Amino acid sequence: MPLTCHGALQALRAEVDLSVALAGNPNVGKSSIFNRLTGMGVATANYPGKTVEIQLAVTRLGDRRIGVVDLPGTYALGGVSEDQWVARQALLDGAPDAVVLVLDATNLARNLYLGLQILDLEAPMVVALNVVDQAEARGIRVDTERLGEILGCPVIPTVATRGTGLDTLIGEAVRRSSRRAPLQARLRYSEDVEAAIGKLERALVGRIDRPHRLTPRAVAILLLEGDPEFAAWLEAAPHAEDLRRLRDELALTLRDLRGEEPGLLLSRERHGLAGLIAAEVEHRERQRPLLADRLWQFTTAPLTGLPILALVLAGIFTFLFVVGDWLSTGFSALWTAYASPAIRWPFITVLGHNALSRTLLWGFDAGINAALAVGIPYVLTFYFLLALLEDTGYMNAVAFLTDRLMHRMGLHGRAMIPLVAGAGCNVPAILGTRVLGTMRERIIASTLVVLTPCSARTAVILGAVAITAGWPWALAVYGVTALVALGVGIGLHRFLPGHGTGLVMEMFPFRRPTLRPMLKRTWAHFREFVVVATPIVVGGSIVLGGLYETGLLWSLAIPLRPIMEGWLGIPAVAGLTLIVAVLRKELALQLLVTLAIAQYGPQASNLLTFMRPDQIVVYALVNTLYVPCVATISILARELGWRRALLISAVTVVLALLVGGAARGIFSLYR
Amino acid sequence: MDDAQSAGLTDEILEDCLQALHRVEAQGRGATLEDVVAFAGISPAVADAAFGELRTRGLMDSGSNRLALSGEGRRQAAAVLRRHRLSERLLTDVLGLPWDRVHDEAMRLEHSLTPEAETRLKSLLNDPDTCPHGGPIPAHDDFPAAPKAQRLDTVPAGTQVHIEQVTEEEATLLRYLASLGLLPQAELVVEEVAPFGGPLLVRVGGARYAIGRDVAAKILVCGDREPPGPRRRRRNRRGR
Repeated sequence: MPLTCHGALQALRAEVDLSVALAGNPNVGKSSIFNRLTGMGVATANYPGKTVEIQLAVTRLGDRRIGVVDLPGTYALGGVSEDQWVARQALLDGAPDAVVLVLDATNLARNLYLGLQILDLEAPMVVALNVVDQAEARGIRVDTERLGEILGCPVIPTVATRGTGLDTLIGEAVRRSSRRAPLQARLRYSEDVEAAIGKLERALVGRIDRPHRLTPRAVAILLLEGDPEFAAWLEAAPHAEDLRRLRDELALTLRDLRGEEPGLLLSRERHGLAGLIAAEVEHRERQRPLLADRLWQFTTAPLTGLPILALVLAGIFTFLFVVGDWLSTGFSALWTAYASPAIRWPFITVLGHNALSRTLLWGFDAGINAALAVGIPYVLTFYFLLALLEDTGYMNAVAFLTDRLMHRMGLHGRAMIPLVAGAGCNVPAILGTRVLGTMRERIIASTLVVLTPCSARTAVILGAVAITAGWPWALAVYGVTALVALGVGIGLHRFLPGHGTGLVMEMFPFRRPTLRPMLKRTWAHFREFVVVATPIVVGGSIVLGGLYETGLLWSLAIPLRPIMEGWLGIPAVAGLTLIVAVLRKELALQLLVTLAIAQYGPQASNLLTFMRPDQIVVYALVNTLYVPCVATISILARELGWRRALLISAVTVVLALLVGGAARGIFSLYR
Repeated sequence: MDDAQSAGLTDEILEDCLQALHRVEAQGRGATLEDVVAFAGISPAVADAAFGELRTRGLMDSGSNRLALSGEGRRQAAAVLRRHRLSERLLTDVLGLPWDRVHDEAMRLEHSLTPEAETRLKSLLNDPDTCPHGGPIPAHDDFPAAPKAQRLDTVPAGTQVHIEQVTEEEATLLRYLASLGLLPQAELVVEEVAPFGGPLLVRVGGARYAIGRDVAAKILVCGDREPPGPRRRRRNRRGR
């Protein structure tokens, strides 16, 4: 259960001796530092109504307990985007004893912008100059001593993935936090700006109601910048007419003097200062670009980008099917041989052979087996591959290459990332749509995720269609699903009010992935899947078992006849498995075989004895298209609200029936 | 950076430095400290302080140690030069001073002309093209040797441009782009243009960004020149 940020930060402060916040741009190794500094017990928290999370953990240095807060990776602090807002709010609410700014040594100028904003808040800062090894490989040496002098704070070179420099870093952070007086040299803006800041600062000295007990200078800068939150504070503050007038006057004067909004002006000057500092401390040897960097450019080049993408996707799915299938078979065999008898024994001993014990075993034996057979082999493997794509930076190339396609559906390239994840399991993929800025984008992306065949549905497509009707038909099912998803996306883009936002995304250079953080993230993703999916799978299986063992299932099949036999042209018993598959999608196939044997006798274990290949194709299409499973519906409801979750589910059911009926119609023409 | 505060920098000195840099750049070479010291008649220490201030204001390139104007710096320098050369015209054509003496007078006058006075002066002098010494008078808001602004999404791969403005008055987009360093007058190189209306890949300083076509269409840029170095030109790689 996620905590709220404010409460979590308060609680953390109360339980530790001092607290440290980690700030930095995205992909600078901030999380690696966090993971290295802290162990397992990591909590996440978010502000009400915001989806960007912060992470909190406690670590020890000697006999001191140190709280570490990992802020979201951002390029700046402010109200422009959710991540920037959360980063700043958590920084202000947490009032950490030291802020560790993680800088990417290969791109100092852009990274320093955030540092200057932290210095503007007059927060005590320690700098971790990360990936110094990669900077050296690219011929960049940074004079850490000079950088420390300019910023007025310790600068520690680190290589987070190897843990280099982190002990010194945390030691410096502790030492920094014990000094009360602000240490840093004050970095100066241009004279006009400094004059305006100075005037406003003096006027603010007397006000004790400054937000978050910030220094007068920090508040003066935010007010001049026109920060909406601080502007709102000033509007509401009592006896502040003079202050408001002064602020307006100074802002106007600055605009007249420099011909630019003060907000932009300060941004410009901060970038100017950042560039100046970087130029002073960086020594760049003329060096040819790294071979890796040059090869990396092929991933986005017009002629080579798409073929490479096709190869990567083919590689992923081949790996997934070969390794996943191998693991799945292995786990099932192990389960049947060892775990299953061990679980069956107590149930049978206590309850005896009856409907109740068999019903419970549906859940605790078959249910857990199914979760293992799909979860570990496909989902875990998939997340490992996903972490590999993310850590090398290739995911951004995927987003770059698919941006155009996603635009037709009112999304941009970054929405492709959760869609790829959706091929593993829809549940975490829907959580992944949080990277998108607006609710409109999240609705469209979540709907597309729901229409992306997850590993459970893939198991049905491969297990039923590929085996009975052949590979081309299995691919055809994927093709039809892709077309339907595309159509739905375009339709939603047209139909939903509002408009899409554009893509602005940093493209990272190639990073050699390191195993440890990848495994840690893979595990975190997987745990999320297990927590959400397992109870529902087990519970669903018990319900299903109850229906089957009591024979109620058969009476449920009767009202389905008109739709299943009349419209889709498949046996009603097959239709029944489609309905119960909403509990667990891969169950459709297992159940089909089980029920078929129960109804038609043992020879029905070969599906072709009671269904034609074309019926199986229709069956797989419907199973693939309609809303994946109850776990997905519940996560949709949590993320988008119940009304939208049910609407999306209803739309997919209608689509499945339409496409299934159309496929049947086409098949009947050729038969 | 603290030097800038103590060196007693005035707007006059800063404008003189801008003008000096602009004049040297117009000759097609890189400026040196000596060029600026000689032109503005200031000490090297003051010149250094002035460079610091100009870089902080974003009027000079801050990414390197060379002395070069930024896009915005070039625009402001052109404005100073325009006022300088118009003042020279006034001094020779109307007041009848000999042309070899007007430069020093104009060095003082140029700082005090308001935009309104400048416009009147221009029409009084019948909109002259050159100063008495034959130097061209930059047109209003003219970027030297810069073509008209065009949309970023129409720029071919391999060109270096600077941002002229972000058209849509969408404050959040403007500010978000600003936090990435994509500000008016920022210089960027279009590295890659994905075919079939795909996004652009641009480099700003040490960072590379993917920018969707729709966002790029809101950014007006002016071409600078081909990027330095032996990079091959990549034209006709644009989709549509």
